[in-house]
Amino acid sequence: MDSWVRFNAQSQAKERVFRAAQYACALLGSTLQNDEAAEIRRTVSQLEAHMSLTRKLLRLGNSVEALEAAKRAIHLSDSVLRLCLTISHLNRAMYFACDNVLWAGKTGLISKLDQHKWSQRSFRYYLFALILNLTRDAYELHLLMEREARSRTSKQPSSPSIPLPPDHLPSSSSPATQAMDFGWLYRQLHLVGTVLYSNPPLLLDLVKNSCDVFIPLDRLGIYPTGPGFVGACGLASSVLSILTMVHPWLKLKP
Amino acid sequence: MDPFVKFTSQSQGRDRIFRAAQYACSLAVYLLRNNSDRKDLVAKLKSLETSLSAGRKLLRLGNAANSIEAAKRTVQLSDRVLRLCLTVANVSRTLYFICDNVLWAKSVGLIRNIDKERWSLNCFRFYFFSLVMHLSRDVYAVLQVMTKRSRDKNFKQRMDQHLTENPEVAEVVVPHLDGFLFLLLETLKSHPDLALDSVKNICDLFIPLDKLGLYQSNGGVIGFCGLISSLIGIVTLTQPRLRIAP
Repeated sequence: MDSWVRFNAQSQAKERVFRAAQYACALLGSTLQNDEAAEIRRTVSQLEAHMSLTRKLLRLGNSVEALEAAKRAIHLSDSVLRLCLTISHLNRAMYFACDNVLWAGKTGLISKLDQHKWSQRSFRYYLFALILNLTRDAYELHLLMEREARSRTSKQPSSPSIPLPPDHLPSSSSPATQAMDFGWLYRQLHLVGTVLYSNPPLLLDLVKNSCDVFIPLDRLGIYPTGPGFVGACGLASSVLSILTMVHPWLKLKP
Repeated sequence: MDPFVKFTSQSQGRDRIFRAAQYACSLAVYLLRNNSDRKDLVAKLKSLETSLSAGRKLLRLGNAANSIEAAKRTVQLSDRVLRLCLTVANVSRTLYFICDNVLWAKSVGLIRNIDKERWSLNCFRFYFFSLVMHLSRDVYAVLQVMTKRSRDKNFKQRMDQHLTENPEVAEVVVPHLDGFLFLLLETLKSHPDLALDSVKNICDLFIPLDKLGLYQSNGGVIGFCGLISSLIGIVTLTQPRLRIAP
């Protein structure tokens, strides 16, 4: 009970729980396609809209937090991380600002607001922030893979397990080179698997961002996947983010 | 900017800001109700108030557990009167939160066959009872400090000085009342946390008193009292020394 009280006291945590519930409702609504469940579907979509509006209310101060995070990210030592994280936080701040404008429009404070335009704008900022987060994840993965490959070769100097970059391989499709391609690919995948398995924060962050990226892709019409898939992705990413809140060691730092 | 971020990251901080905004809207709607030029503004404020109230109901969904934990803590207090008052207040608040959650479920459509009026009345009854218990605790704490002070020699000297310098003091009853008020005001001045908590509880009391029909007041009074109590709540959250303990 004590850990629930502590969890509940964090505003972020509540917002994540509501996000999980909202996407669960979206998923449930998309699975109930028959006519008999029209009543349930209406209740579920009403609940989803109510949670979405309340989450917007809860997010009212988040632009400031994102700007503070961007200010902190500027002081990082690694230049790629510094670039990715600062711009990602700035994009998130813009996303929250658009979201606040949308909330004002939905509650009636600003009349005659073009909700569709502002909604698209906010999703564009969100998508860009997610792409930068994914770039950061790929960069961290690349660094860890290099480190792991170096430590492997230093452990076994005799075996030819140094992964050759693809442009060094000949382009002819003889069976020997094809076997080398598959062997190289297998080794790379094995390396990726090892690195991710030994770094759960990176794995969690990568899966979370990958799930999240489908939401703006669908809403902006770039890669429409349907409400069911979007609901499932949203639910998965919310559950993962609740997990990182309950176990702070799972959060990717910085 | 940093203290703002720290404040809003607490769930309670955000809830109190929303509560202050909600009652400010309610007060503004009451003050502008007869102003025909500002009808648009009044409509906007009303819809803002409704959405804030609905949002806060959703945000209160987990709070019953918090109250139970608080009740578990207050059961272990050493002072018997404090233990009784605070534990009963926390239990009553837990029941209020449970009723409030049921009302939320009804408003969203998850539960259908319940008597909304009856549940709403029960909700306000539990809230009223918890406020009465909190006020009793305030009165008890004030009386404790007052009795301790009246025995203090320095204070007795100051009180005699105050009574003798005041030329209007003549009758037998009035000096006692004057002395009592002086003692009360000195107590409240030296214990700002107690004063703030008492004012907050008294302001909060008007809301269920009106909803239960015990003391009908108008929307303006309710908005004003709610706003004052929310502002005091925000101040006690930002300045921990002004928060009453336990």
